[in-house]
Amino acid sequence: MKHLIRNTTLATTLLLGAGVAHADWPGDRPIELIVAFAPGGGTDVMNRTLAPFIEKELGAKITILNRPGASGEIAYTAMTEANPDGYTASSLNTPGYLTMQMDRKVRFDPKKLCLVARIVEDPGSFIVQANSEFNSLKDLVAYAKANPGAVTVGTTGLGTDEHLAMLQLEKSAGVDFTAVTFNGANEARTALLGGHVMAIGINVGEFVGSDHSAFKNLGQFAEKRAVIAPDLPTAKEQGYEVLISSERGIAMGCDVPENIRTKFSDAVRKALDNPEFQGKAKQQSLALSYLSSEDWNREMPVRAERLGAIWKLAKEQQ
Amino acid sequence: MEFLDLLSLGFSEALTPTNLGFCLLGALLGTLIGVLPGIGPTATIAVLLPITFYLPPLAGIIMLAGIYYGAQYGGSTTAILVNLPGEASSVVTAIDGYRMARNGRAGSALAVAALGSFFAGTVATFGIAIAGPTLSSFALSFGPAEYVSLMLFGLLAATVLARGPVLKAIGMVLLGLLFGMVGIDASSGEERLTFSAVELFDGIDFVVIAIGLFGFAEIIENLENHEARGVLVTKLSRLWPTGEDFRRAWPAVLRGTGVGTFLGVLPGGGATLASFCAYSVEKKASKNPKEFGNGAVEGVAGPEAANNAGAQSSFIPLLTLGIPSNNMMAMMLSAFIIHGITPGPTVLATQPEIFWGLVASMWVGNLMLVVINLPLIGIWVKLLTVPYRLLYPAILLFCCVGVYSINNRIFDVVLAAGFGLLGYAFRKAKCEAGPLLLGFVLGPLLETNIRRAMTISHGDPGVFYERPISLLLLIATVGMFVLMILPSFRRTRQEAFQDEEA
Amino acid sequence: MMSNPREPGGTGDRPEFLTAGLFVGFGALGLWAGRDLTFGTASAMGPGYLPTIICWLLIIVGVTVGGLGAFRDREEIAKPKLWPVVIIPAAVVGFAFIAEFFGFVAAAVWLLLVGSVADRDSKPREVLMLTAGLTAFGALVFIVGLGVQMPIWPF
Repeated sequence: MKHLIRNTTLATTLLLGAGVAHADWPGDRPIELIVAFAPGGGTDVMNRTLAPFIEKELGAKITILNRPGASGEIAYTAMTEANPDGYTASSLNTPGYLTMQMDRKVRFDPKKLCLVARIVEDPGSFIVQANSEFNSLKDLVAYAKANPGAVTVGTTGLGTDEHLAMLQLEKSAGVDFTAVTFNGANEARTALLGGHVMAIGINVGEFVGSDHSAFKNLGQFAEKRAVIAPDLPTAKEQGYEVLISSERGIAMGCDVPENIRTKFSDAVRKALDNPEFQGKAKQQSLALSYLSSEDWNREMPVRAERLGAIWKLAKEQQ
Repeated sequence: MEFLDLLSLGFSEALTPTNLGFCLLGALLGTLIGVLPGIGPTATIAVLLPITFYLPPLAGIIMLAGIYYGAQYGGSTTAILVNLPGEASSVVTAIDGYRMARNGRAGSALAVAALGSFFAGTVATFGIAIAGPTLSSFALSFGPAEYVSLMLFGLLAATVLARGPVLKAIGMVLLGLLFGMVGIDASSGEERLTFSAVELFDGIDFVVIAIGLFGFAEIIENLENHEARGVLVTKLSRLWPTGEDFRRAWPAVLRGTGVGTFLGVLPGGGATLASFCAYSVEKKASKNPKEFGNGAVEGVAGPEAANNAGAQSSFIPLLTLGIPSNNMMAMMLSAFIIHGITPGPTVLATQPEIFWGLVASMWVGNLMLVVINLPLIGIWVKLLTVPYRLLYPAILLFCCVGVYSINNRIFDVVLAAGFGLLGYAFRKAKCEAGPLLLGFVLGPLLETNIRRAMTISHGDPGVFYERPISLLLLIATVGMFVLMILPSFRRTRQEAFQDEEA
Repeated sequence: MMSNPREPGGTGDRPEFLTAGLFVGFGALGLWAGRDLTFGTASAMGPGYLPTIICWLLIIVGVTVGGLGAFRDREEIAKPKLWPVVIIPAAVVGFAFIAEFFGFVAAAVWLLLVGSVADRDSKPREVLMLTAGLTAFGALVFIVGLGVQMPIWPF
């Protein structure tokens, strides 16, 4: 019933002053946070966990709306087409956000989409069965050199972070793997456990956050070791140029006044600093790595360029 | 006995007032959403996930599990009463269950479904407790090649679902396969058959097709056939199954339980196959296969048992290996992880109360469901006496909300309306939609696994017959095909003779 | 369902012809929509490999069904009534658009009022009461209770 009452008060506010609603942002009505993935997935759970903490900082109500589909394109389109009054934000994930623009014409205008805050950066990694003869990326590469094409690597599809990581490793080490596509990390893990593929790509957060007693991680593809896996060597330390990570954050339309976006970004930062949230993040193995609106917007083109180069590689191979 | 100790530990956990309360709450909620067409357990559990933050871990998980298997009970109710399967597994229940309802035996069908489910749930629960780890290692031996053989077997079994000629059923399966291929192809990233609609990039949702082909098409047809629906209301005989019903149902329940428990363990598609396979087993085992499709009680009992057993045993890979076998289980995994528990072999050893508590609660929940559902049958059957002019707007509303809520978009509802028209055309063409739905569900699994198997073997088809399990399944498929072809040849020949005589 | 009247003396099973038309039509549509997809080889199947095979199989099955039907006794397709076929999809599609822009209550009222027109048995008083009751029930159960993500009111 609260919902109903809130909607009625909201209605009166709207009827009285439709266009100028953002004068007293964000107090007058709920902010709609579009989650680009289905309920119950990692991104959804993270946003639902975080939302109450942002609410506390902003003194506003946040409602979550799932608009899954086309790796986020549907949500980004809905968000960029929404009224730019600061009451619509969307979750945003890389590398999906970047790779979709390389392959096809997307339905939204990327210039109208502005990054607000990065919440998580989760590096990719390769894992094998716990009793495997491979103990490092070096072992895997050596085997692949001796037996070209014999190493099967499970990925979750073309242009996903695992696939791009595999391509980078192939190029950096001069070897040849066979990519096997699975519908999602869980299917891939099952196949690895059953010995149907030799290695699979998986995000470090996913690895640390699950029962991984049956697996062995060969190395993470980050610049620096992630906070959640300080003991896992990076590919760079092992001598390979493999850099890939998936980021999760929040974006808004660029027509939203900048002071609103900054305010939202600050609220996210304060929410991430909340020890209570950090406790929950730890349980979910979230590799928290905040970037402000400004920093993230600066970093994204660099990332896009790097992915573009690998992408070209993938297309040449096909 | 260590096993008994663990089991009693489980029951002492499951029977605490809190856990008992949340188990009941989950079972009730599950029944409710199962009965409402289109609203699936996945969406509900997603909404409830954040609430479980504030519950003790086991209580939250027990409640979510209750919603899951409660929805299986509830789903068969809608399938039987109004021919509206909310998910793949109840497509089969609708075939004979709805016929039974039309013949005035709705009460029997519902009671057999509930009792069969309870029995299957009990057996599968103990199956998890006793043989969980063994079963999960069996599941792991299923690689891409084995899945291909299993899917071929399943698709062939699908043609048994139809009453009409086998050829039409095969056509419908093919059509289902084609619909299943709509969307972005994961391994190449290319759009397929999407007609550039971004909403189709992830493929068509099962609920959209099911609500369209069954829900909307059924309403249109009923409105058209004014006479036919009068029958539904007037013929309402007994509430409970007859002794004859029980006698015929129990062996079917037994077989269904076995089929369901085994197939449910297989990650990805196993549980869906369970009810289909159980149905074809029953039809093959029966002395009167002609009764199937016209209200055979075995056609409800077997698949319902298989369905529920499969739902329970699909917990096995999650609990023993930490790997979810379908979307529902992925959601359960999220629920565990929110509480900092990572299910798998480690938790099994260090926190046995979680595993055993959940297993025990499943049995308790199943008992509750039977107790909830049996008295409800009277009410459900009364619902059928409501004139159709009052009933169909309600069905229409539930269907629409259900379809909209999948992805919160207009597109899906419009698409479902389109499938409604298609379903209506199928009815005019005397094609049955059941095989299409199975093709639709299994198609993507078949395709990805064929491609996977061929990639891994570098194009050598030998993988399919060199691996023992795969070979066994292929032999079974060929055997079934021969069995199917033979009598139909015989029958057509007989018919031909009869025609000549006449 | 209804058994169709057999007209003595003719051949050609009309429902079978409709089936054939649907199968061949969808097969052809699939081939056309997938004409640009890479076919690939057995060891590296492209996205077009299986769809093409299935479309051709569908066409073959369709042609066979139609061909066999031509030799059967004449049978008619049950006569369609246009009214429900038009009204029900219209009510459903309208529901979706109204729900998106004006919320649940408006959409449900549209769906139930228009949907009821499809049945000639409907009585205005009953329809109004049913609409009010179901709308309230739906708003409470679906949106407040089960958290379906849809606004209740138009604003």
